[in-house]
Amino acid sequence: MDKPLDLLQGTLDMLILKAVSLGPLHGYGVLLRIQQISKDRLEIQQGSLYPALYRLQHQGWITSEWGESENNRKAKFYQLTAAGKRRLHAELQKWNQMTEVIAGILGTKPEEV
Amino acid sequence: MTRARWARFRSWWNATLRREQMESEMDAELRFHMETYSQELIRGGMPPQQAMRRASLEFGGAEKIKEECRDARGANFVESFLQDLRYGLRTLRKAPTFATIAILTLALGIGATTAMFSVVNAVLLRPLAYRQPDKLYLIREGISEMAQFYPSFPANAGGFLRWRSQCRSFEQIAIVEPVGRILTGAGESQEIHGGRGSANLLEVLGVQPRLGRTFLADEDRPGNDRVVILTDSFWRDHFHSDPSLIGRSITLDGESEVVVGILPPTFRFPKAAQLGPLTDFGPQLDFFKPLGLDPANFSLLGEFDYAAIARLKPGVSPQQALAELNIIQAQIARDSKEKVTLRAELWPLESQVVGPARRGLLLLLGGVAAMLLIVCANLASLLLARIPNRLRESAIRTALGASRSRLVRQMLTESILLSVLGGFLGIGVAYLSLHQLVRWGPVDLPRLDEVRLDARVLGFAFLLSMVTGIVFGTLPAWRVTRTEPHDALKSGALTATENRRTRRLRESLIGFEVAASTLLLIVAGLLSVSLFRLLAVDKGFSAERTLTVDVTLPRQSYPKPAQEQIFYDSVLRQVQQLPGVTHAGWINKLPFEGQEEVNAIQAQGMIDVMQAPIANYRFITPDYFQAAGIPLRQGRFTAESDASRHVALISQSVADKVWPGQNPVGQQFHQGGDDRPLTEVIGVVGDIRSVALDQPPLLMVYAQSGDVANDWSGWHASLVVRSASDPVALANALRGAVRSVDSSVPIVHLRQMTDVVTESVAVRRFQMSLVVLFALLALSLASIGIYGVLAYSVEQRRPELGLRRALGAQVSHLRWMILRQGMAPVAIGLVAGIATSLIAGTLISSLLFGVTASDPFTIAGVVFAVLAIALLACYLPARRTMNADPMAALRYE
Repeated sequence: MDKPLDLLQGTLDMLILKAVSLGPLHGYGVLLRIQQISKDRLEIQQGSLYPALYRLQHQGWITSEWGESENNRKAKFYQLTAAGKRRLHAELQKWNQMTEVIAGILGTKPEEV
Repeated sequence: MTRARWARFRSWWNATLRREQMESEMDAELRFHMETYSQELIRGGMPPQQAMRRASLEFGGAEKIKEECRDARGANFVESFLQDLRYGLRTLRKAPTFATIAILTLALGIGATTAMFSVVNAVLLRPLAYRQPDKLYLIREGISEMAQFYPSFPANAGGFLRWRSQCRSFEQIAIVEPVGRILTGAGESQEIHGGRGSANLLEVLGVQPRLGRTFLADEDRPGNDRVVILTDSFWRDHFHSDPSLIGRSITLDGESEVVVGILPPTFRFPKAAQLGPLTDFGPQLDFFKPLGLDPANFSLLGEFDYAAIARLKPGVSPQQALAELNIIQAQIARDSKEKVTLRAELWPLESQVVGPARRGLLLLLGGVAAMLLIVCANLASLLLARIPNRLRESAIRTALGASRSRLVRQMLTESILLSVLGGFLGIGVAYLSLHQLVRWGPVDLPRLDEVRLDARVLGFAFLLSMVTGIVFGTLPAWRVTRTEPHDALKSGALTATENRRTRRLRESLIGFEVAASTLLLIVAGLLSVSLFRLLAVDKGFSAERTLTVDVTLPRQSYPKPAQEQIFYDSVLRQVQQLPGVTHAGWINKLPFEGQEEVNAIQAQGMIDVMQAPIANYRFITPDYFQAAGIPLRQGRFTAESDASRHVALISQSVADKVWPGQNPVGQQFHQGGDDRPLTEVIGVVGDIRSVALDQPPLLMVYAQSGDVANDWSGWHASLVVRSASDPVALANALRGAVRSVDSSVPIVHLRQMTDVVTESVAVRRFQMSLVVLFALLALSLASIGIYGVLAYSVEQRRPELGLRRALGAQVSHLRWMILRQGMAPVAIGLVAGIATSLIAGTLISSLLFGVTASDPFTIAGVVFAVLAIALLACYLPARRTMNADPMAALRYE
């Protein structure tokens, strides 16, 4: 297994929105889902998740509700709002454009200039 | 509020007010995370204790994360603000001297600025109490042939009728002229002043009476015009605001007039000077009357003495209106069959009302703002001086995890706390000083009586306090957070000294303070020199030991000029008998009281009357010139025997203009047109300043009062009495003399001639005194600043200086070094201040008299004063250290 990658600055919010968009999750569940999808190739400091979750909720992109977890304990579940959906969509587009441009620049060969 | 903003607000609200619930939920959430993770680790075969530790380690510092969560929801905002506030109060309590100095200087600065702002607010910012005042224009007339003497005239009634019927650019045009009446039947008889105008006047201004009605259109016609509308203050003072006065009659000049309306208390009418030259409204109006003139009697080029106020139609530009008026003016000139070129002028009424005061007031506001900036610079400098003490503290806070923005916020909270406390005191200062301003301010300043601390002013004071706090707090806060914490922690308290960069900052602040004080001092000096030059101007008469009595004869008791003459002569005879009186004489208008009886001098043989110079005619009794101290240059004074002849004295400039190079005595001229009898010049007297000290002398003609001067409507006159001793002792005797001849004649004024002169420079004196006050305050603040910086720096360098002395440095050399260090920013500030004053000089040139903005003597005086004060401020700290024993200074380390 490769050494896990550090998270690119500013991408955590987007990853959380994406994870939550697949279904309501509690904080630990968000972590698990990101790691599961990324096949453990991303290194996320666990605690840093929570300020991000609070920030996203403060912006009104996710809402929270107390519910019951898989192991029958009380846990706070986060869910995407309509505004969050729009936000995620916008972020995705921006991300795609950005990667395309950067990939284009980095893939340039000397004879193409 | 949008949904997203609402969500944010609710989140912040819950976080702030339902804090405990948020805290416990946050705890539960984080605990759930760690426990679930550790269970997972246990399932993977890790011993429980180790799993728990591992989980909490991988999670990160729980407290730090919680803090970030609170921040994310804005929960910390109020909390940390209150914390900063408590902390700030504690810091200030620990430094009571600093806090007291800071709060007091801030109170002074903010208070003075607020007081000046409330004057500006009342005079410049509050609009006229008219409807859409920007649509109101004064119409003035110009006669090109006379433009060299009088650039413009008030309107003529004949012209007004033409404009009203032909001009399409205006909604309405109104005219009004000043009138005086004697009020009887309401207490002591007295003279009151009013305006007689077309019935639509109030409609044009857009003013509704608070009681009753405006004039009706047919009340303009003679016979229908026995109606008056009173101003609120007159109604209050003379009729105790009795509402039943409406419909009742009052007696003016012995005729009864029905009161049909009362104006609102906010109503103000422009003053004479604001309506342009040659209009003669008094400072206060008591009533309005309809015109009551038969239009058939208006001549096309009659008396130009009406103020014409017009309301522009929407969508019409003033240029279009002026073009249309000028077409009508050309027709009038043609129809009058006179060889004149008539023009019209449009003056915006609003800027007329505030225009003359604007520059002076803005200057005062600028001066006070400069003073406030110096206060800010001083406080910033004081705060910078305290930095070494603060560095350790802020370094510890940074090390404990305070963010840089949090530190800045905390320091700013402290400075804003100071400035808001200063602001509260400042409102008190403003209240007290406004009281004095209104009391001592000149009456000529428009609407000074309306100055007060209203909501706008209080809002300004609050905003000013906040901004002040931010201005003087930012620099020190920035300095503190720019310092590396470990540097400050590494060194001990004693050596956590002011570093070079902080000292540079403080020195630039000193430079700024000196520059601003220099600028203010130069302006103050120029204004003072102007006032002294003005007072030293040769008035042409002598005001010392002279009393004047202004009277107004009741029209109904004195219908004929001969009766007036009997009154004037009887009073004169009595006054001349009084012990101590050397000379006494009547005149129809005193010097400095404005223009009156303005008419042409048509020398015998002169063909074109339009080319004749225009003079002010005065009617006098023989002794007037000796009483007023006006010297005789040629010929002789008038005598009693001249009463039946057409003779006059002229001023020197009339002689030079009309009969250059000839002997004027014995020459003859017409007073006005050649239909008037010829008048012989019997003498020439000196020129006098007739309008104001700063206006050059006008052409004056003095005719003998009596039946020859039968066109003088002589109800107003002033008696000038010269005394051998203190004139004030004569006051009661003079009053008695007037009373004994006719006790029904009101005495309008009884004052010394010197007071008449003083009143004419009141506005200048007011401006000058305030600017001088601001400049002196600025200079003392700046010198405190210089002293503070240098004293502190000497204190810091005490070991170094002791060492230098121990190594053999001369005391004088060290003293010179300290002085040089202190004076360097002063010199730079001085140069900058002088440069600014030269650049800004053109802005105030209209306020100066007899001196230019680059007056080298004033600038040299200011340079000398600033250098002397700054040297003193530097010398005191320099001397103090030098006296210290070098050994003691070294041991101190």
